[in-house]
Amino acid sequence: MARHTENKSNPATRRKFLRTCGAFIAGGVALTVSGITLKKLETEEPDMFWQIDPEKCIFCGRCETDCVLPVSAVKCMHANKVCGYCDLCGGYYRSSVKELNTAAENLMCPVGAIQRKFVEEPYFEYTIDEKLCTGCAKCAKGCNSFGNGSLYMQINQNDCTNCNECSIEKVCPADAIKRVKASGAYDLKES
Amino acid sequence: MKKYLVLLIFTFVTVTGNGENRFPKPDFESGYRYPEYTYEVPDETLWISLDLVALAGLMGVVAYSVLRKRKRMPVLIVSAISLAYFGFFRKGCVCSIGAIQNVALALTDSSYAVPLSVLLFFMLPIAFTLLFGRVFCAGVCPFGALQELLNVKNYRIPRVIAKTLEIIPWIYLIVALLLAVTHSAFIICRFDPFIGIFRFGGTVSMILFGAGLLILSIFTGRPFCRFICPYGAILSLFSRVAVWNVKIVKKPCINCDLCRHACHVDAIRPPYSNKIKENRTVGVRRILIYLVTLPLITLVGAVTLRTSSDLLSKTNKKVQLYDIVTDNNEQNPKDENYELEAFLGQGGKVEELALEVNEIKQKFKLYSTVAGAVIGIITGIMLINLSLKRTRKNYEIDDAACVNCGRCFEYCPQNR
Repeated sequence: MARHTENKSNPATRRKFLRTCGAFIAGGVALTVSGITLKKLETEEPDMFWQIDPEKCIFCGRCETDCVLPVSAVKCMHANKVCGYCDLCGGYYRSSVKELNTAAENLMCPVGAIQRKFVEEPYFEYTIDEKLCTGCAKCAKGCNSFGNGSLYMQINQNDCTNCNECSIEKVCPADAIKRVKASGAYDLKES
Repeated sequence: MKKYLVLLIFTFVTVTGNGENRFPKPDFESGYRYPEYTYEVPDETLWISLDLVALAGLMGVVAYSVLRKRKRMPVLIVSAISLAYFGFFRKGCVCSIGAIQNVALALTDSSYAVPLSVLLFFMLPIAFTLLFGRVFCAGVCPFGALQELLNVKNYRIPRVIAKTLEIIPWIYLIVALLLAVTHSAFIICRFDPFIGIFRFGGTVSMILFGAGLLILSIFTGRPFCRFICPYGAILSLFSRVAVWNVKIVKKPCINCDLCRHACHVDAIRPPYSNKIKENRTVGVRRILIYLVTLPLITLVGAVTLRTSSDLLSKTNKKVQLYDIVTDNNEQNPKDENYELEAFLGQGGKVEELALEVNEIKQKFKLYSTVAGAVIGIITGIMLINLSLKRTRKNYEIDDAACVNCGRCFEYCPQNR
């Protein structure tokens, strides 16, 4: 009888008991959640990086403006093996230029990131200076409209901060930006 | 006319579509070789391991200093380190708060696996909280650290307002989970107020929001942690049942009220003697009222969110695309509509998209009903909690709200 009244008058022990039960439930939940997610890791390689699928990209230019970085991590890349090495390049010159010289008003790239080198008659080799490129995709659009499509947009993984939610992905009209696995961090155009 | 316009779009798309080999590969005669490019994939293993070691280490330091040494200084040092390292150096991504969404997606989507580092970022603070209380919040979280270091004045928010605002993290958490599991958006990341400050850049509205919170946090403790942070809501559950918790004083309390004034998150409850003795019938009626109102609030929550599921589904990109596509079939196409151009360029069919969107909307309907019910239950439990009166002999710490900052025992005269 005495013990009975003592228990009743001491809610602290009841609270303590509930607390212990709660701790076990909480621990159980935490263990189950980590167990399920860990088990998944055994069968599946996790997606690590953001990348553009060049097959889907439509060169809208939002990569330049919507990246959280001051200068977008999206850069133009060049597949030399696809390039026609033309003199009159749709990615190098603006359309409707009157004279084919390298004056700035004739060039497509607003920051002068495309450089070209004479190889042999009539071929020119084009290279992109990625440090200058802002990812505006103007050259890639020109190249894909009038040329072989050797200029294309990719995310440079060394620049990308790898946000949990890519802010370009949210506005990409073509759904071209996807999480990719570390083994496929670059979706390069070849041949 | 409409047909003509669609045709026009199609020709436009075929011209601007992916370039095929219009020009043959050049035959070089001068022995030119194609340049080789290699693009490096950054090896983040080292940094991520360092992150995790820092996370666990700093939480350990906070736990040791608050629970064993009962000193506040180490917490402040940890705050500064975490702010510099996790905040400004590592740019605060991925963080434990955002990781909620990845883990939720991994639990519901069979094709999505969450990287081990993200899982650990989510789980380590929870494990530490279950053992030592919210030591992560104390100063290891760069957001908490930033507000902790800025806080100088402690104007108390009236309890009514504070208690009402405390429901926001839960609603935020549930809605974030809803949008994450439906592949719509990671709103916790998008509406992250401090990431813009860590990166020195971002949208104007978010920077202003962040700056506003920081100014608020000068005058009152941790507005983000208390009234917005969804991870804090999760941790408060674990902290409630933690194995070891902070004690204000180990000697007898002299009821001087200093600790309550020192606490900037209003986690210390003053002594209270519940003089009103409730008789049995009143008590039974009270419990009956709880039992009736709780399902009622749950139902209201479920119905409200179910009816707004259509609105919520508009956050999904596919649903947005469907709206654009159907809108443009009716009206004149805008001259520069990239969404439509891409959709038609990829050979998308409106019927297929409609089916997909329908599926997404069904999913939204189900999940938002559940989400509404959960929000209802949480609101109900919070209300019931408010109506409970407990006798306290001394000043007591509300373990759910306490962020282990160490202010109370610094101020306690018995600890000197």
